[in-house]
Amino acid sequence: MPYLGGEETVRELRRALSNPNVQSDPLRYRNTILKVIRTMSQGVDVSGLFSEMVKACATVDVVQKKLVYVFLCSYATLNPELSLLVINTLRKDCQDPNPMVRSLALRNMTNLRLPSLVEYVEQPLTAGLRDRAACVRRVAVLGWAKLHNLHPSSEIDAAVVNELYSLLRDPDPVVMVNCLRALEEILKEEGGIAINKPITHHLLNRLKECDIWGQSEVLRVLQRYRPQSEDELFDILSLLDSFLVSPHPPVMAATLSLFLSISSNLPVISLAALERVSGPLLAACGSGSREMRFAAVCHIQLLLRSVPGLLGPHYKRFFCGYAEPAYIKERKMQVLVELVNDENVAMILDELKGYCTDVNTDTAQAAISAIGRIGRSYSDRCLQILTGLLGLKQDHITSAVVQTMRDLVWVCPQCSDTVCLALDGCEETLQDIQGRQALLWLLGVYGERISTAPYTLEVLIDRVRSEASLGIKMELLTATMRLFLCRPAETQDMLGRLLHYCIEEETDMCVRDQALLYYRLLHCGIEKTREVLQGRRSDPSLGVLIGRPAKPVSQWARCFNTLEPLSQGAVEAESDSRGSPEHVTYNSKPNADLSDTLSCSHIEEVHSGAEKIEEVDCAWIEECVRCPAVLHCSPQSLQAAMQLVNIQTLAFTPQQMLPWRVYLYTHTQRSHSMDAPNTTLILGELLCTGEANQKSGVKKGTADSEAGAEGKEDQLVRKEMDATADRLRVSEDGQEEEEGIKVILNQQPKDDDALRQFLTILITVLNTLSSEKD
Amino acid sequence: MIGGLFIYNHKGEVLISRVYRDDIGRNAVDAFRVNVIHARQQVRSPVTNIARTSFFHVKRSNIWLAAVTKQNVNAAMVFEFLYKMCDVMTAYFGKISEENIKNNFVLIYELLDEILDFGYPQNSETGALKTFITQQGIKGQTKEEQSQITSQVTGQIGWRREGIKYRRNELFLDVLESVNLLMSPQGQVLSAHVSGRVVMKSYLSGMPECKFGMNDKIVIDKQGKGGASDDAGKSDLGGGSGKQSIAIDDCTFHQCVRLSKFDSERSISFIPPDGEYELMRYRTTKDIILPFRVIPLVREVGRTKLEVKVVIKSNFKPSLLAQKIEVRIPTPLNTSGVQVICMKGKAKYKASENAIVWKIKRMAGMKESQISAEIELLPTNDKKKWARPPISMNFEVPFAPSGLKVRYLKVFESKLNYSDHDVIKWVRYIGRSGIYETRC
Repeated sequence: MPYLGGEETVRELRRALSNPNVQSDPLRYRNTILKVIRTMSQGVDVSGLFSEMVKACATVDVVQKKLVYVFLCSYATLNPELSLLVINTLRKDCQDPNPMVRSLALRNMTNLRLPSLVEYVEQPLTAGLRDRAACVRRVAVLGWAKLHNLHPSSEIDAAVVNELYSLLRDPDPVVMVNCLRALEEILKEEGGIAINKPITHHLLNRLKECDIWGQSEVLRVLQRYRPQSEDELFDILSLLDSFLVSPHPPVMAATLSLFLSISSNLPVISLAALERVSGPLLAACGSGSREMRFAAVCHIQLLLRSVPGLLGPHYKRFFCGYAEPAYIKERKMQVLVELVNDENVAMILDELKGYCTDVNTDTAQAAISAIGRIGRSYSDRCLQILTGLLGLKQDHITSAVVQTMRDLVWVCPQCSDTVCLALDGCEETLQDIQGRQALLWLLGVYGERISTAPYTLEVLIDRVRSEASLGIKMELLTATMRLFLCRPAETQDMLGRLLHYCIEEETDMCVRDQALLYYRLLHCGIEKTREVLQGRRSDPSLGVLIGRPAKPVSQWARCFNTLEPLSQGAVEAESDSRGSPEHVTYNSKPNADLSDTLSCSHIEEVHSGAEKIEEVDCAWIEECVRCPAVLHCSPQSLQAAMQLVNIQTLAFTPQQMLPWRVYLYTHTQRSHSMDAPNTTLILGELLCTGEANQKSGVKKGTADSEAGAEGKEDQLVRKEMDATADRLRVSEDGQEEEEGIKVILNQQPKDDDALRQFLTILITVLNTLSSEKD
Repeated sequence: MIGGLFIYNHKGEVLISRVYRDDIGRNAVDAFRVNVIHARQQVRSPVTNIARTSFFHVKRSNIWLAAVTKQNVNAAMVFEFLYKMCDVMTAYFGKISEENIKNNFVLIYELLDEILDFGYPQNSETGALKTFITQQGIKGQTKEEQSQITSQVTGQIGWRREGIKYRRNELFLDVLESVNLLMSPQGQVLSAHVSGRVVMKSYLSGMPECKFGMNDKIVIDKQGKGGASDDAGKSDLGGGSGKQSIAIDDCTFHQCVRLSKFDSERSISFIPPDGEYELMRYRTTKDIILPFRVIPLVREVGRTKLEVKVVIKSNFKPSLLAQKIEVRIPTPLNTSGVQVICMKGKAKYKASENAIVWKIKRMAGMKESQISAEIELLPTNDKKKWARPPISMNFEVPFAPSGLKVRYLKVFESKLNYSDHDVIKWVRYIGRSGIYETRC
């Protein structure tokens, strides 16, 4: 920060410093130096006073010495020659009988950061390692690390390294920990300090003597150690057990991290450790300081990835306080969504409802989208809340609610009736682009059930000239087209006006092209248009059962107790609350639609081309299994059984209904990985149409392979369900002959062995299930 | 490890800046100011990443403390360190404020030098630091004092020096608790916990060995089997319910307590530091005695009037007196006038704080008091609904809401001849409100 009059101040200070009267009075001298430091920390460049300050260094007053050293260390790099003068004083101080003075001198000698002074520093540092007083040794040990940092490429004397290794056995715990730190830095190139059995055991035995900083440091370094036998492993674990429930969050986290790394091939122990640590973690969540609370909640999110049910009974701990900052509230809501179960859903929803009217709009919107997430499993209750919120008529709330409803309808088509009823009158309160886009999409897709849809669209079409947003214009086009298909009489006129405007007057290429495309499409006839625009619709008879796979601990153990969970989640949170992944799909929605369907017609024209691509990167299997009793399984038990063998279910029809379908997916390890990614994704469909199976499932959905490539769960659900709609048409005619379940598997990238293996496992599960039923 | 430490005032001016490692450039100070302190929107996270550098910040009143690092460090530790730094500074010069920091900045530089070296935390125990960093400086030392300091910095018992003598051996124990509560409008407890501290002031000669006992459930259960339950009524100083033992969720001790002994037999034995220090810190969540119950009743009469009635009930022994009771009832932003009637104490509408503040000096247990207010509102076109903030409460009660009781504190000094009976002991319980909120 440049201050006016900086030069003037410096001149004045110099005058004062060189005034013999000031110099003779220790108190005045010290006060002048104080002034120098003060101006320095305000950002004024006082490097011009360097020589005067060097003189002030020769004093018996320790406080004055410290002040001068602060100054010298900040400006030494600018005046390497003058700094030589200080070295003498410093070296003399290293001989002082007072250990405090010795350590002070040693510390500042190494803090000067001048490569040219290294030769003068080495000798006192070596002496310092053998000093009687621990405080000098502490400084000397770290001093070597600082020297190494000045010349990272230069070799440090092997004798010094040996000496540092032997100082690990120093009686003072801080010296020991500093040795560890210094060796880690000096030997960075070789991968840090060598952690062998004797060192590990020594460090573990002395862990109790260290303060919490030392403990976290030691525990971090020990993560590299691999116990040689199982007995040793258990000895270490039981020794560390008391640290696992340490009330200091850093120590507790470091211990857990160590636990997870050394017992990485013993999942049972990892899980037991997670359970044990949940108490202290919860305590940290309720700690008085918000930053610690934030860190704890972030780490809990990591834990929940592997053990979703861990904190279920403690959900109340994640209720937000009124005065908590938005970032904690957002994280807590994410945790609450994870913890929902049948017993607490009412309480959690009640609580979340309270946050929806938060003063902070971000928090309010995050709460609404959290309710939407819960709505995937408890749609009725959530919709009731969401509809109630619309009554408040506030633009940010309405916008978030409409977006949430749009997302919900995709996943749970059975909600569509309620949503359609609720949408009436929203358009008046909606202000922002995302909200209006969501509304338009809903109007387009469910136009036939919303009586006022054409009027709402008409108002927007009349105002299209003053509309600034590109996204809204495109969404409006698609919505009007869709509405035209189901309610032509009311919409024809306004569609004409809209198309005319977009083609003749609109300047933006995207909008114009889209309008032209629709215009030409209409020329192809109404049936063709319908095929293109209404191809995708999720099947209302399908319910969703998204089994989130419990991810293995090893996936996140590495980043536990680092900075990552705090920042990484923030990105996730952002996308979650703003719903941007959904947006991406929606913004490009009309385009995606078109490209899909267009490529379908491509298949007819350029048959070979499209087919080939699919053959190259995905595999396709159909198989018939005879196990009729599976049909009578409840979806929940089916899901549970599947999850045992790591198969995740996506969607299902209610039991006893025909055609009966279940969608599932899994990731498998590629058996022979050469250069390609070594996991493959398998998408499966179990189908029982209650008829002879030869006819169904002939059509190979392009959607499937594409969804596989995207790898996004949400998208999978949608596309899969759409694909079914297509298949349904094919397989509906026919009569009952034989009860069998058809298994259709799709894999990408192709790996036959894995696919075969998967199929055998799947068939075993199905057979077991049906035999249980029998 | 920490690359640098900066302290700013609320305007973003740098008060203290200390860089420990070369990888932190001089522009880091400005980067934080521009991106966080001067940013228009609210703070999005206590950790900010700017150009591959992470800034951890903590705010105390209007002072920003920021730790900077380029490594992927362990976040909880950096925050813990910042808290420790705040604690140390508070112990030296009281409240952390711009004024205090400016007046003590030499001291802060000294502390920063001592606490962190090359970005690694070194010595953060206030007691130990105080022996060699004093506000006066340490120039006029005798040889004897010097050696004392040395033995303290390097010796085994870092928290107590040899040869302390008092004419009267005395010790004071304060059990200080703060009760935190979040209650739903229907009177359902959403969350409640007590965080407590046991603070001891010891004026004892020599190197005394102390043993501290409280009604910790695990200990009592253990002893109950042995048949030693005669001391249950001994120290019945508490005022809440007559329960015998409490379950402590977690606790931390001053470094002087022998943890190994606590782990094995759960007894708390230690050689105390001289003077005032915090012996232990604990938390409980079960069976908390909530000293007050707040029953709110808010009714909206039309668009321009609001009727509020709040009843508070005290829930402890009638013989005890609660003090400094303050109930804060938030009012909407568009309040134009308030009429208040209260049975006890004084109530006032404070427009600047948007709240009705009701103060009662004293209130006995098992009593009830009530306030009713009529709030007149200005009609606004702002359709935003008033997001009723919770009613908060402050008070002080002379018992421990967690139910913790001190059973004994024994002092043994083998070398000097004074015994446990000669020591004068004082025990005091104070329960204060932390965040004590009832939604309305």
